[in-house]
Amino acid sequence: MTTADHKTETMHPVGKSVQRLDVLEKVTGAAQYTDDVPFGNSLLYGRVKRSPVAHGIIKRIDYSKAKALPGVKVIVTGDDFPNLVGLYLKDKLIFARDRVRFVGEAIAAVAATSEEIAEKAIDLIEVDIDPLPAVFDAEFGATKDAPLIHPDLANYECPNFIFPVPGTNIANHFKIRKGNAEEAFKKCTSIVEKKFRIPHVQHVPIEPHIAVAQVEPDGDVTVWAASQSPFSQRSSFAKALGVSESKIRVIAGYVGGGFGCKAGVTMENVAVALASKAGGRPVKVRLTREEEFFTNFVRQGLIINLKIGCDAEGNLLAMENTQYWDGGASTEYGVNITRAGGYNSSGPFDIPNITTNALCVYTNHPIGGAYRGFGMSELHAGIIQCMDILAEKIGMDKVAFLKRNAIQGGDFNVTGMKMHPVGLQECIDTVAKELNFGKKEPTSAPNKKRGKGIGIVWKAPSMPPNAGSSAEVRLNEDGSVTVSVGGQEIGQGTFTVMAQIAAEALGVAYEMVKIEGPVDTRYSPYEWQTVASRLTWSMGNAVRRAAEDARKNILEMVGEAWGENPSNLDIKGGYVVSLKSEESISLKNIVVYGIPRPGDQGWIGGPVLGRGTFMPSYVTNLDKETGQGARAVVHYTTGCQGIDLEIDTETGKIEVIKAVSVFDVGKAINPDLVKAQIEGGFIQGMSSAIFEEMKLVDGVMKNPSFVDYRIATTADLPKENIALFVETAQDDGPWGARGIGEHPMTPTIGVLANAIYDAIGVRVSNPPLSAEKIYLAMLEAGKIS
Amino acid sequence: MGFHQISVRVNGNDEIITVASNLTLLRMLRETLSLTGTKNGCAAGECGACTVLLNGEPVNSCMVLAVEVDGQEVITIEGLAKDGQLDIVQKTIIEKGAVQCGFCTPGMLISARALLNRNPHPTEEQVVEALVGNLCRCTGYSRIIESVQAAAERS
Amino acid sequence: MTSAHPGLPEFDYVKPSDLSEASQFLALHVSDARPFSGGTDTFVRMRDGFFNPKYLVDVKNLEGTRILKFDASEGLTIGSAIPMNQVVAFSEAAAYYPLLVDAAKSVASYQLRSRATIIGNICNASPAGDTIGACLAYDGVLNVHGLDGHKKLPLKDFFTGPGKNLLKPGDIVLSITLPVPPKGHAGQYFKLGRNRLSDLSIVGVSALGYKDPSTKSGFTFRLAIASVAPVPFIPTLAEEILSTEPLNPDTINRAAQAAMDAVTPIDDVRGSAQYRKYMVRNLVKRAVNELQHKLTA
Repeated sequence: MTTADHKTETMHPVGKSVQRLDVLEKVTGAAQYTDDVPFGNSLLYGRVKRSPVAHGIIKRIDYSKAKALPGVKVIVTGDDFPNLVGLYLKDKLIFARDRVRFVGEAIAAVAATSEEIAEKAIDLIEVDIDPLPAVFDAEFGATKDAPLIHPDLANYECPNFIFPVPGTNIANHFKIRKGNAEEAFKKCTSIVEKKFRIPHVQHVPIEPHIAVAQVEPDGDVTVWAASQSPFSQRSSFAKALGVSESKIRVIAGYVGGGFGCKAGVTMENVAVALASKAGGRPVKVRLTREEEFFTNFVRQGLIINLKIGCDAEGNLLAMENTQYWDGGASTEYGVNITRAGGYNSSGPFDIPNITTNALCVYTNHPIGGAYRGFGMSELHAGIIQCMDILAEKIGMDKVAFLKRNAIQGGDFNVTGMKMHPVGLQECIDTVAKELNFGKKEPTSAPNKKRGKGIGIVWKAPSMPPNAGSSAEVRLNEDGSVTVSVGGQEIGQGTFTVMAQIAAEALGVAYEMVKIEGPVDTRYSPYEWQTVASRLTWSMGNAVRRAAEDARKNILEMVGEAWGENPSNLDIKGGYVVSLKSEESISLKNIVVYGIPRPGDQGWIGGPVLGRGTFMPSYVTNLDKETGQGARAVVHYTTGCQGIDLEIDTETGKIEVIKAVSVFDVGKAINPDLVKAQIEGGFIQGMSSAIFEEMKLVDGVMKNPSFVDYRIATTADLPKENIALFVETAQDDGPWGARGIGEHPMTPTIGVLANAIYDAIGVRVSNPPLSAEKIYLAMLEAGKIS
Repeated sequence: MGFHQISVRVNGNDEIITVASNLTLLRMLRETLSLTGTKNGCAAGECGACTVLLNGEPVNSCMVLAVEVDGQEVITIEGLAKDGQLDIVQKTIIEKGAVQCGFCTPGMLISARALLNRNPHPTEEQVVEALVGNLCRCTGYSRIIESVQAAAERS
Repeated sequence: MTSAHPGLPEFDYVKPSDLSEASQFLALHVSDARPFSGGTDTFVRMRDGFFNPKYLVDVKNLEGTRILKFDASEGLTIGSAIPMNQVVAFSEAAAYYPLLVDAAKSVASYQLRSRATIIGNICNASPAGDTIGACLAYDGVLNVHGLDGHKKLPLKDFFTGPGKNLLKPGDIVLSITLPVPPKGHAGQYFKLGRNRLSDLSIVGVSALGYKDPSTKSGFTFRLAIASVAPVPFIPTLAEEILSTEPLNPDTINRAAQAAMDAVTPIDDVRGSAQYRKYMVRNLVKRAVNELQHKLTA
């Protein structure tokens, strides 16, 4: 048994940078991820037959040769699973039936005694497809001329805040009509109008998607999955199989990176489908790295047309914002990203007149899903650059321009919601100061150009209005605490933060708290999903309430035993103490066995359990035509990022010298984990902005490997990556906390683009902001020859 | 397809195993020996999650055949701690808060240990070069680089 | 949809006990056997379905493949089983063949270079093969064992077309010998990838230069450009300009331009042909300036 060196006791851990709970397992190789779970020799291996055609009608599927291959145990096709599934819009099949809609779409699957045999069987399945005209551009896809990808859109089930337009490829049309933008533009002295194209990118968790499914003797189905959403998955599997939720059990161990792609359900359905016909044998399906790139959720491409105007003093007056989201072959999740693009469409700016049309468009590209930021990297890529252009146009200091227009507490924002207090001004000031913004720095060599960029962002958790959390707190004989939650540890450190919250609320040392894992929908309390940067706030509230419930039970027990009012008692350092008598008693034993009454007159108390739940109750829907309503979202996390960089004019290469990111997190429950999220998020943002693009040609991804799809390595880091935060308390967050998981990568495209412009005097607007693109832009502009 | 009997020392234990020709060292470790700390991230020698020490040198175990390690010595993440004591770089990676999802961590630690074995006092750039084949999507790397430097300072 | 296999497809691993057995086996199974050493290229291409051999023949324990020696008269000999890291760590390689070591260090990652070999780079003829240009610039000669015994093949004649070379059925490359380079030469690899390190090259310029009283400029430069043609491209006109005209900024610019004009790269996922051409020019210029600086410093 390997042990860490120090035994410490951290009292009042909220606000302290305690060590993560999960590190010892993770540095010794003991941490169990889904692919590490042993299943023995009965395990079958699943592989998927995929469409080579972007859009077409399936004429024939013949798997007789595959079926005859020794070792092949199960073959399933779309005819076995006719039910439509989907998180928001139910428009997706597990296997294509009559029609294929993207290259890589599952058509059939095989389970065999080895991966090699399954792979051979896949090659033996014959599929004939008649190609149809396809849609590869979202803007075109939204027109009347585009071929229809989902002729049955009118019949699909969806919640009442999603607005499909039947008879078109528009799966959701979200509108904002605030004030009168058309009139307001007439009063503007300066207007910027610009179109941006943000390409598809991938999440690239180092752990590829994996799921194992097995039918139990009683017919229930157990699924082990690398999952951000065990409970949403349970619900989706149940619908796919036409059974009730209680017939499904999802067990989700550590996740080797999620970033949104392991939210909702994708390939996990294939494992369930195969297992449902495998006679009780477990079936494992694991994506190859190549499949990870083009068959699963992607970050949607976006075409955005922005028009923003201000008066001579630099006050923003009007915005027109038209977004074409490339939802892909199915928009079950993407429709809500489009909605987020709409209700966040102003960015963190106070703009009185806004017209927004956010369109989620079916295309014959891979299916869009959640990706860290949920549309905000793409949206802000455009807004941040437009604000930079506008400030320059009116000759105003860029920092002053941002500060003048940044949204503040009390403002009525784009959806008419009254803003809660935000520390955005302080974020901007801190970045400007840390970066010496406005000061031109010397270059390191004659062939280099240096520049700085700045930008601000906001993001609200994007979720149904009633996304709930729950938690249970149990005390053990030794006074230690076990916390059960349904949210997932995906690397962000949520188990650690939950332990801090439980310890603080209960009055015990952080080291006394353990989080029960893996999350298991049979035993763990409900959690909607581990997405939207919502756990610290939402699950944190549930854990706090559960710990307070346990605390109340303990104090009532001791109060009764001592004949004291519980309000005069406190728990400190694992002891119940009386504020009056200064008497104390250890939690050990009493939290399980209770306390004997004096004089051998029986017992008081017993095993201590605490329960807590949290669900926001105040989120209202928005008007379909105006996008206005009382409260569209729970809250916004805001922040500012600045970058100082150099460009090599002989190659176009960017070298980021310094990055500064400052976000208003409400309250940092664990300051070091907050900084780690900001640092890592910035690098992910920088990587996606500079290097990353799914090169889709006629629907085929040309670079589905690490050789051809590059992400940042140790050699691509800025010299300084500074992460800071401010704390403007959230009224309904635990100790004032709100989320920070996604936000750090959302400003980076726009801020980099602004810094590039400052360095070379040429706007390179659309990512990837590659060396090639920058070099050729300088060449075209005559900056070099 | 041919099968071969090999003998190999893994984390100090001698193993005699029958392996298929196409079995990679990665799959042998994970599937035959149940040493699942070594991770499969790409199976193409690009991500570094499967890095192990082969005769003291780091290799992508997805790019080595099991049959090739006959008579050789392999150290995996499970063999890094000795006598219940964490390796110094395991300690410093904890202290620096350089672990998030943890999937790249075993390979990262093996690469770091290999670097410190061949160069006990690397410069920052040498750490960067030694870890460039270990992809991490969570941390942004700088804490990992710092933990290797801290380990070098302390050993 | 063709996609990579999850693992390696089925094959038989064959480990010949000596060279003649190896050559005979490879000649007998000419269409379905492949020799391999480090396997870093072979396994990837097998996963991709590009190679599908019935037999993989492990040649790295055969006589003559594990040599790594420097001889003041014969030069540096590197066996086909010697991983790149060993070459980089070999002090005489670093002392006398800086271009080779620089290029080898630029390949992928340290752990990949624990297995990847220079001979493998040559035999697989990757257009981005970073070390091939250095071996050309150092006038490398391949030592080959075939059915008829040993033979020597100069590297400059080795590549006969895209994916084609001079090897005959049964031939196994045992090693490469790089003759003793000109004394006091300077050599460096100028690689442009998308990432700062570890990527395949968009363009890679192997550059070697030395003072040469027999030329008009007083210098000779050897250049080989990776990733612009199926095998590294030698810009002969650029080399000629650099030896026949006084070495000044104008000459270097014209040589760089000549290299740019001579290459005919393609568009691929790493970069466009247009960008590659400019990068050839700029990197050749950077290379010559850097080497001149080293030679005259």
